Amino acid sequence: MKVFVTGAGGFLGRAVVDAALAAGHEVLAMHRPASLPAPETQPAGVAVVAGDLRQRGAWEQAVGEAEAVIHCAAAASGDLPTQLAGTVLATENLLAALPARLARFVHVSSFSVYDFSAPGWSGRFDERTPLEPAPLRRDAYTQTKLQQEAMVRAACRETGRVLAIIRPGAIFGPGKDWDYGRAMRVGGLDLIFAPLSPMRLVHVANCAEALVAALTVPLGGEAVVNLVDDEQPTHWGFHYRAKRAGAPLGLGVPVPYLAVRAVGVAAWLASRLFFGGRARLPEWLDLPRQQVRWRGLSYRNDEAKRVLGWRPRVTLTEGIADTVRAARQSP
Amino acid sequence: MGVSEHLDTADGGPLRAAVIGCGAIAYEHLPYLTSSPDALLVGLCDRSRALAEAARNRFGAGTVYTDAEAMLAAERPDVVHVLTPPQTHDALVRQALAAGAHVVCEKPMTGTAAETAALIEAAAAAGRVLVESRNLLFNDPVIALLAMIAEGRLGTVRECDILLSLDFLAGPFGDRNLAGPGADLPAGAVHDFLPHLVYLFQALTGAETADAVHGELANRSGNARAGFDFLDALVMAGQVRGRLRIATDVEPSAFRVAVRGSEASVETDLYNPFMRFDGPPDTGKRAPIGQMRGGFALVRAGFANLRNKIGQHGTTHGLPRMLAATYAALRRGDPPPITPAEMLATARLTDEIVALGAGR
Repeated sequence: MKVFVTGAGGFLGRAVVDAALAAGHEVLAMHRPASLPAPETQPAGVAVVAGDLRQRGAWEQAVGEAEAVIHCAAAASGDLPTQLAGTVLATENLLAALPARLARFVHVSSFSVYDFSAPGWSGRFDERTPLEPAPLRRDAYTQTKLQQEAMVRAACRETGRVLAIIRPGAIFGPGKDWDYGRAMRVGGLDLIFAPLSPMRLVHVANCAEALVAALTVPLGGEAVVNLVDDEQPTHWGFHYRAKRAGAPLGLGVPVPYLAVRAVGVAAWLASRLFFGGRARLPEWLDLPRQQVRWRGLSYRNDEAKRVLGWRPRVTLTEGIADTVRAARQSP
Repeated sequence: MGVSEHLDTADGGPLRAAVIGCGAIAYEHLPYLTSSPDALLVGLCDRSRALAEAARNRFGAGTVYTDAEAMLAAERPDVVHVLTPPQTHDALVRQALAAGAHVVCEKPMTGTAAETAALIEAAAAAGRVLVESRNLLFNDPVIALLAMIAEGRLGTVRECDILLSLDFLAGPFGDRNLAGPGADLPAGAVHDFLPHLVYLFQALTGAETADAVHGELANRSGNARAGFDFLDALVMAGQVRGRLRIATDVEPSAFRVAVRGSEASVETDLYNPFMRFDGPPDTGKRAPIGQMRGGFALVRAGFANLRNKIGQHGTTHGLPRMLAATYAALRRGDPPPITPAEMLATARLTDEIVALGAGR
């Protein structure tokens, strides 16, 4: 299958290109013009497409040749206008360029679209968990990923195209370590908030293989799948194991979730009293975003295994080891 | 039809407002348009339906359009905010005027004074008000500076130095992934910021025209998308000297404004405001007292800036004030807070500074 991969130069996109090649697909890998890879570095079966989804251009012709798309590109940081351009406008342009014959669209969504206050006491968190009903209380990433997913869904329904929406948890691997579970560093101490809450990790190679599997498995119209690895370490456990693997970490100091929430309530009150509720708070003080990152929930991957026939290949131990190794080798 | 005649049709209710362009600057206009009793947001237009819908989702008002002509015909707005890239302003301003709307246009309204003059003429011919944004005049430190000058605390103003240091190459103006110029203007990316410096200089010194302009307008980064990214201009205007600088290669980000007069000097920053006053009575032997006062004032400014950052009282806090003054003037049929003569004077001095880059 000829697969068009957006964001192919990114952390996930690079792994997706590798996984697609390994699965025998021909890859059209879209890279931004300022960071094009040298042609000689590209393996056979990969054609580099230069372009930026924020602007229409010659890349649209390459999309026209594709049989399927894996849409990894998004702006994961920056202010709202930056993320609107890099995620929403980019996706609008991509959807407008899709050829009628395109058989399948694999969309990389995110856990951030969910309502993390919705799960009950059991903490069960799966594909039936509701989407965030009030995006404005969350950050720009959630707002733009929600709109992006809605746009993709509407476009695929309109054209009758098969759509796989893949919502990965926290993708980790060489180049992305999520600070090994610590919330912040104070001197030589690593503060670990909600030390016993699971981290919803998925290794980048496992994530890429699931996305590639979504290209070919039988799907009836539309499928939504969450991705997490089999083994979910707690924040404290991740920190401990990474430190043992050689990560340059300080002494882990656990801060119970209830204490984090208490500080959040105090910040919320201060915002209401002194700033009319408009205070711009960092994640660790902002009640809705505290829940997203630190609430103790039970993440599952049954649906991913059932729908995609996927099995996470890289274990947590291997994933931590290659992440730490890559960090030590980087300048 | 004159302004007051037009507003009679508003029937005393809020003015129907529409926005063309739903990019970053729209997110500074829309809070006013969706919270003021003087405005009713009726239309949001962008070539990207997704961006227009994003704005509607965030602000909860306005019908979404992707075609300006269609929006103007359907919504019949009283006021249109043109918030698109500068090279598109001319056609959109004319469309809005032709549809009977007053226009608030982001700066720079045009690339040259001749184009600005032509749009001002078009607005006059249509009997509509045209306002080019100059929001920094409504910022707290600028208001304070203007008050000090008006009270005569500086004596006669002799010098005005304005330095904008900002790594704007890190944003769309210098993004090498995007094709075409970052700002399609004669002075490139510098031109997008230059009107701020020019109108501040004119307002703070009272000088409208220059006897001479010296200096350098250049591209120092080698980033072709930016066009020009460096300006160091010396403006001579009678007894007044002005130095206007824009640089991307110095840190930290700052928007320093210093005004020196025959009696005293004052300095502030528009990004992290403070007010340092050097003048009577704390001069000569009392200068150390003045320095101590300045130290305490700096500490107070630090706390105020911390509070402002948490409370999201940022550098664009003057914009809703400017819009409130504009809408109030429209409702009363008064002259707008930014007059055509001021807009033209700013455009003409901008032209002279931009000419420093001629031939580069």
